Amino acid sequence: MENPLRAGVRLERTAEPCVVVIFGATGDLTKRKLVPALYRLVQERLVPAEFAIVGAARTELSSEEFRANMKEAVAQFSEAKTVDEEVWESFAQGLHYLKVDIGTSADYVNLVAKLDQIDRERGTQGNRVFYLSTAPTLYAEAVRQLGQSGLAKPKEGQKGWVRVIIEKPFGSDLASAQALNRDIHQHLDESQIYRIDHYLGKETVQNLLVFRFANGIYEPLWNRQYIDHVQITNAETVGVEGRGGYYEKAGVVRDMLQNHVFQVLSLVAMEPPASLNSESVRDEKIKAMTAVRPFTPERIRAECVRGQYGAGSINGKQVPGYREEEGVAPDSATETFAMLTMYFDNWRWSGVPFYIRSGKRLAKRVTEIAIQFKDAPHKLFGSEMMEQMTPNQLIIRVQPDEGITMRVAAKVPGQVTRIRDVNMDFRYGASFGVQLAEAYERLLLDCILGDPTLYARTDMTERGWEIVMPILEEWASTKAEAPFPNYEAGTWGPQATHDLLEQAGRRWRRP
Amino acid sequence: MSSEIQPSAAANAPQGIDVGRLEKELAANWRNAGDGAESSVTRVCVLNLIIYAAPGEDRAKMDELLDVVTEHAPGRTLVLIADRGAAEARLEAHVSTRCQTASRGAAKQVCGEQVTIEAGGAAVDTAASAIEPLVVPDVPVFLWWKDIPHEEDKLFNRLVELSDRVVIDSLVFDRPHEDLKRLAQIIGARRQYMLASDLNWGRLTSWRNLIASFWDVADYRPHLDAIDEVLVEYDPPDVASGQIAAHALLLVGWLAAELKWQPTGDFVREENNSRWVLLSGERKINVEFRPAADRQGCDGLIATLTLKTSATGAEFYVGINEGWTKLETSARIGDARAVGRVVSYEAKSEGERLSRELSMLSRDEVYERAVASVGQLIEALQKS
Ligand SMILES: NC(=O)c1ccc[n+]([C@@H]2O[C@H](COP(=O)([O-])OP(=O)(O)OC[C@H]3O[C@@H](n4cnc5c(N)ncnc54)[C@H](OP(=O)(O)O)[C@@H]3O)[C@@H](O)[C@H]2O)c1
Repeated sequence: MENPLRAGVRLERTAEPCVVVIFGATGDLTKRKLVPALYRLVQERLVPAEFAIVGAARTELSSEEFRANMKEAVAQFSEAKTVDEEVWESFAQGLHYLKVDIGTSADYVNLVAKLDQIDRERGTQGNRVFYLSTAPTLYAEAVRQLGQSGLAKPKEGQKGWVRVIIEKPFGSDLASAQALNRDIHQHLDESQIYRIDHYLGKETVQNLLVFRFANGIYEPLWNRQYIDHVQITNAETVGVEGRGGYYEKAGVVRDMLQNHVFQVLSLVAMEPPASLNSESVRDEKIKAMTAVRPFTPERIRAECVRGQYGAGSINGKQVPGYREEEGVAPDSATETFAMLTMYFDNWRWSGVPFYIRSGKRLAKRVTEIAIQFKDAPHKLFGSEMMEQMTPNQLIIRVQPDEGITMRVAAKVPGQVTRIRDVNMDFRYGASFGVQLAEAYERLLLDCILGDPTLYARTDMTERGWEIVMPILEEWASTKAEAPFPNYEAGTWGPQATHDLLEQAGRRWRRP
Repeated sequence: MSSEIQPSAAANAPQGIDVGRLEKELAANWRNAGDGAESSVTRVCVLNLIIYAAPGEDRAKMDELLDVVTEHAPGRTLVLIADRGAAEARLEAHVSTRCQTASRGAAKQVCGEQVTIEAGGAAVDTAASAIEPLVVPDVPVFLWWKDIPHEEDKLFNRLVELSDRVVIDSLVFDRPHEDLKRLAQIIGARRQYMLASDLNWGRLTSWRNLIASFWDVADYRPHLDAIDEVLVEYDPPDVASGQIAAHALLLVGWLAAELKWQPTGDFVREENNSRWVLLSGERKINVEFRPAADRQGCDGLIATLTLKTSATGAEFYVGINEGWTKLETSARIGDARAVGRVVSYEAKSEGERLSRELSMLSRDEVYERAVASVGQLIEALQKS
C-alpha cells in the first residue's frame, strides 16, 4: 500500500525494515566503515526504527562486548568523533553478535533462529542484507551455506527480500571470477547480488553522469571529432601498508585497474543511457567496455608499461622500496604501477587513445580524468603569441578535492596579443561548503533500497578480467625481464610512460 | 572558517542608485581579494538572494547567517533595509564581498558579494526598481521576506514578480491564525508565478519524516486509515498567546491535506486546549491542540504528536526531549510489540535552514496544500 505521507519534494527516500548481517564483524572494514556508516544512516533517519544489525564471525563474543567494541569504533571513525549515550543505547538495541564460522552448517541454524527472533521483536519483516566482509576465499562458501540453510531466499509465503553484498576483490583472474559468479548464481539471482566497488559511491564519479548528460554543451564534443586523447590517473602515495602478503599475489592491475579504474573509464566512454534506471546505465557501461580493443602481446610490449617502486621519498619522508616491504619477496616481480593504452573500437572513440595509469607510492594522491581536446583547427595566432598555450583540457578530479577544471586560452592584457592558459575551476569543496557523504553510506543505503546502479554487474566484473588477462599473462610469463624496481617512490612512475606519450607527440599532465 | 567583509565607499545617490558604479566597485573588490593572497579566490555565483528586512534587524546576526549561506550557496546577496516610517525619502547603497575559507580545502576561499541598500520613506515603494538591475542574470532569484507578507504591499508584489521563489518564516507571525489564513490566500492567488518556501515548514521536515516512516512499514500501514485521535502539544508563541502556534497548525494541515480529512464546523475551546473535529468519510477525527510547558528557545514549536486508532488500538508517538536535542518515536499495536528509537535532533542554525530552502527550485506542492488546509481550518474556526 502506498504511503500518502511520503509525497513531496522534501522527504528523502527511506528504506524498508530490514536486518543487515555482517560476516566478518570483528574485522577492520566493519569497524572502520560499515558500522559507522550504518550508524549514520540511522541518525539521518534514512532507515526506519525497524532495523537491526547482526555481526557474525568466529571469535567468541557476547552481544554486549560487540556493542562496546562498535561504540568505540563509531566514536573513533565517525566524523563527529563522539556518540551520545541515549542515542547510542537506542541504536545498540538493534545491534547483535552471533558466533558463526562460515564453513560450519550448524552455525546457520543459530543464525536462522536469531533472525526469526529479531523479525518478531523488531518488526524487520524477513528483509535481509548479508554483507560478506571476509576473505575473498570465503565468498562462495558463505553463499552456498546461505543457500543451503534457506537464508538466500525469502521465507515461504513471505514478501521479504534477500540481498548479498560482496566485497572486493571479485576473483583473482577471469577463471576465478567466472567460477565465483557461477557458484553464487546457484543460490542467488543476479538481482540479489551487490558487488561493491566503493569508487562508484564517490560523489564525483556519480557526478560524471550528471556532468556528461545534464549539460547539453559537452555531449556534442565528447567524441573523436574533438577529443585528441584521454588520460586517467589513479595515484596513491601509500605503499602496501602491511598488506604485502596480499599484494604480492595481486598487483596493481588486479587491485585497482580491473575494477575501480575500469568503472570510471566506462562512465567516461559510455553512450547516453535511455534512462537512469540501473539496468540502462549498466547496459551502456558494458557496451562501451565490450568495444575495448583486445591486448595482444605486441600491443602490451609497445603500449603498456609496468613498474615497481624502489626507495624514495614521499612528502619529504624517506620510504623503503617495494621489495623491502614486509611480506614481499626480495626479488618480487609484482607490479605496483601499470600504464595501459586503451582504444574503444566504436564510432564515438575510433582512434582516440585512453592512457590509463595507476600506481602506489606516486608523487601525490589523486584520481582524475583529463580530456584533452584537439588543437584549434587553424593556427590563427603565431607561435610567439602562443608560447604558453596548450590545447583545451577538461579535468574531472575524483579525489581529493573533487571538482572540474576547464583550461581555456585567453589574451594577456596589454598592447600586444599574447595568449595564455587560464583555468576555470569548479570545486565541490569550495562551491558547496557541504560535506560529501561517505561512499559506504551511499552504497549501503542503495542496497537496502534495492538500487544496484552503483554496484558492478556480473558481465562488468568478467569483462574487466577479460580485458586484463592477456596483460597479466604476458607479464607473468616475462617476469624475469621485468626491470624492477624501475621508479623511485615519490615520482610519477617509470620513465617509459613519459617516453611513450612523447613518441605520440603528447605529454602526461602533472595532476 | 574565517570570514571577512570588505566594504567599499558608499555610493550615495539621492536620485537613485548608480548601478554601474556599484558593479565597478564589486569588480575592484574581487581583484583586491585575489591580489597578494597566497590562496586563490574562487568566485561562484549560483543564485541571487534578495533580503527584505526592517531597520531594527540585528546586522551581526545576519552577517553570521550569510556566512553560512555563502558556504552552501554562494552568489550575490542584495539586502534591502526598509525604513517605511522614515519621514524623508532616502536611498543609499554600498557593496562588500564575503569570503569563506572552505572548511576542508583550507587554502581555498569561496566568495560571494553583497549590495546593501538602505531605503527610507517613500523610496521604499520604488526600491524594487533599484534592485532589478543589480540582479545577476541566468541564476535564480530568491526573495527572503523577513516579515509578514501582505497582499496589498506594493514592494512585496514587485519583488515577488522579480523572484523565482519567496522564502518566509511563519514562526514570526504574531497572529498565526489570521496571518496563515492570509498566507493561504496569497499563495492561492499567485499560483501562476510564485513559489513559496517557509523556514517554519523546514523545521517540520524531520518530524514529518519520522511520522511518515511509521507507514513505510507494511504491517502498520492499515492503521493509518483508522486514525481517529490526534494530539499535538506545542510551546505557545509568546507574541500570540491564546493562538495556536503556526508550527502546530502546519503539521495538522499537512496530515489533513494528505489524508483527506475535511474540516467541520465542530470546534471547541476548553481553557487553553482547542479541539477540532475533522471528517474522513464516516470517520470522525478528533484533533486536539494542547499548549505544553513554556521552554526557553522553543517558542512556537511543537513538542509531541500522538496519533491513535480506537478501532485497532494502535498508538504512534513522536516527541522531543527536555533539552530539545533528541527525538523519540514509538509505535504500539494493542499490547503487542512496541518499537521505538531515539535519534539526535540537530537544531539547525537559521543559516543552514535558509540554505536548505535556497537549494529548492521546484514547487513545494505539499506545503501549499498544507497551508491551504490550515486556511480552511481557520475559516471553520472563525465561523464557529
Ligand atoms: N579494510 C579495508 O579498508 C578494505 C577495503 C576494501 C575492501 N576490503 C575487503 O573487505 C573484506 C574484509 O576486509 P577486512 O580488512 O575487514 O578484513 P579482516 O580485518 O581480515 O577481517 C576478516 C573478518 O573475517 C572473519 N572471518 C575470517 N574467517 C572466517 C570464517 N571462517 N567464518 C566467519 N568469519 C570469518 C574474521 O573474524 P574472526 O577471525 O573472528 O572469524 C574477521 O572479522 C575483504 O574482502 C577485503 O578485501 C577491505
